[in-house]
Amino acid sequence: MKELVEYVAKSLVDDPSQVEVAVEPDGNLVILKLHVAPEDAGRVIGKDGRVASALRVLLRAMAAREGKRVTLKID
Amino acid sequence: MSETRTVEATGADIEQAIEAGLVQLDVSRESVIVEVLEEPSRGLLGIGAKQARVRLTTAVAPRSAQPTYAPPAPRPAAPPPPPRSEPRPERTERPTYSAPRTSAPQPVRRERSDQDDSYQRVTQLIEDESELPEDVRMGLATLREILGHMHIDASVTVERSLEETDAEAETAPWILHVHGEDLGLLIGHRGETLSSLQYLSRLIASRDLQQRADFIIDVENYKGRREMLLRKLAHRMAKDAVRRRRMVELEPMPPHERRIIHLALKDRDDVYTESVGEGNRRKVTIVPK
Repeated sequence: MKELVEYVAKSLVDDPSQVEVAVEPDGNLVILKLHVAPEDAGRVIGKDGRVASALRVLLRAMAAREGKRVTLKID
Repeated sequence: MSETRTVEATGADIEQAIEAGLVQLDVSRESVIVEVLEEPSRGLLGIGAKQARVRLTTAVAPRSAQPTYAPPAPRPAAPPPPPRSEPRPERTERPTYSAPRTSAPQPVRRERSDQDDSYQRVTQLIEDESELPEDVRMGLATLREILGHMHIDASVTVERSLEETDAEAETAPWILHVHGEDLGLLIGHRGETLSSLQYLSRLIASRDLQQRADFIIDVENYKGRREMLLRKLAHRMAKDAVRRRRMVELEPMPPHERRIIHLALKDRDDVYTESVGEGNRRKVTIVPK
């Protein structure tokens, strides 16, 4: 799941070098924290949050396969 | 993820009731168990006519598009009204996109009468990917990359629709088909995961190219089958509206599905269509002229 977030984020931002993804497993829950350069936040969130929600939908599909839940936080 | 879902649906005959139920459940005919609750009757001179009523229950694989492992629907142990009719078991929903395996474009055009409810999209399989326009090639690379990061073992083929398409929205001529086993999760409830996959792939490809990337992603022909189902439903309901001289309302649908209904019926001269309602309650109505 981490690689997916990294790939999508790096493909969309202006400054890929600042993209970082941290993973915090918490039992059945996987917490993903995405960090991008402040100027790039809009690109990974998208208009009306569309990019972030599309990414969450894909993550949810992946997590469901393993019987897990996932949240994506963007800072 | 594999909860069983049940709906009851009505229609002028059993077949129509089943169609309506399938659209509500968003699954294919093979993955439901049908119970006929009430046989239709014409009544006398239209007085006392009764609609057919059926109950559909999803069998094991509810995520619609899994022809590879959708098992034959098991009969329930002892259903109160035994499932009597298994209408048209020979019907298969498979080849909506037919793929003539040729390298030279062959503009196969089918007669499309306004009553045509057995519509099939005519497409051509592209075997040499270097022939593709840049945006489609980029889309293909992006899609493969995303699938890889999702650890999904699938292959992607490209087809081009040989039909004239409307300029707006969901009808790009290029279709990237994802094939593989167990891809139900890539489609998601009502195609939600598939929409997200297409949205992100287009976005990334457009950003790389600095121009709009125009292509459709389909998984196990989900959109193709859904389109065929909706077209059939549209024509059945139109006939119903004309016969009963009454407006018919369909279930609420997302915009691109409503569009399929409008387009399916736009050339008929006996009905017109109109969407009513707001937001995700918006639905198509079919009105006899």
